[in-house]
Amino acid sequence: MALIDTAQISGLTRFLDAASARHRAITTNIANVDTPGYRTRDVDFRSVLQQAGIPGMMETSATPQTREVEGLMERPDGNNVSMERESLLLAQTQLQFHTGVQLLRSEFRRVMTAITEGK
Amino acid sequence: MNLFGMLGVSRSALTAERMRAEVVTANMANAETTRTEEGGPYRRKLVVFRSQEPTSFPHIMNARLASSGAEEAGVKVAGVVEDPAPPEMRFEPGHPDADAKGFVAYPNIEPVKEMADLMGAVRAYELNSSAVQATKQMIQQAIDILR
Repeated sequence: MALIDTAQISGLTRFLDAASARHRAITTNIANVDTPGYRTRDVDFRSVLQQAGIPGMMETSATPQTREVEGLMERPDGNNVSMERESLLLAQTQLQFHTGVQLLRSEFRRVMTAITEGK
Repeated sequence: MNLFGMLGVSRSALTAERMRAEVVTANMANAETTRTEEGGPYRRKLVVFRSQEPTSFPHIMNARLASSGAEEAGVKVAGVVEDPAPPEMRFEPGHPDADAKGFVAYPNIEPVKEMADLMGAVRAYELNSSAVQATKQMIQQAIDILR
């Protein structure tokens, strides 16, 4: 079914997956804002999206990997979560997710227009 | 990816931060307490946070299915410990708990320190509750795709 399962839809699905994976990493960082020794983790958003952009990679559906973030200021208790960074990324990821959802909806509407012959 | 699992992560943090605020409040309430069940003055209590592996059903199932999960961690209170700092001795000969030399052992609690800790707990709680709001909106938007 090439009409419904368009490249845009699978790409957008990967985009939403990546956005929610990142949101999860940020939520975890925020939860551990006061845990001694906790290191900030993040999803490499760009590499996930690059994978999504290559047609052959779409079927592998590799789950986005989280990794530690370098170069953040560390507190004396070994924790390096920055509240500003996390709340900023929280808002950013939320908007990215919203964008993805809206694009997906418009894509589905387009398919629907084709089904109903534009009526 | 499971959006609902993130609510569990935030929930664990909200619980932990509330616990921290409760302990700080107890410290402030007992700033002048000279008698406890264990004997001696009240000892300042501190919470210890530890990151934890998720234990909810979807998390475990996803980890078993994909063997990729178990990276996300919530937070939990590993324990409440007592501050080992010695009590503050004040010279009050008329006090019923005074020792032979007239000194009374008061808890070593500094209100400023406790207030700062309380503010930290409240701010962390707020940050986590805004994370819950964000997650809720994302779940709502994902549902809206169906409309």
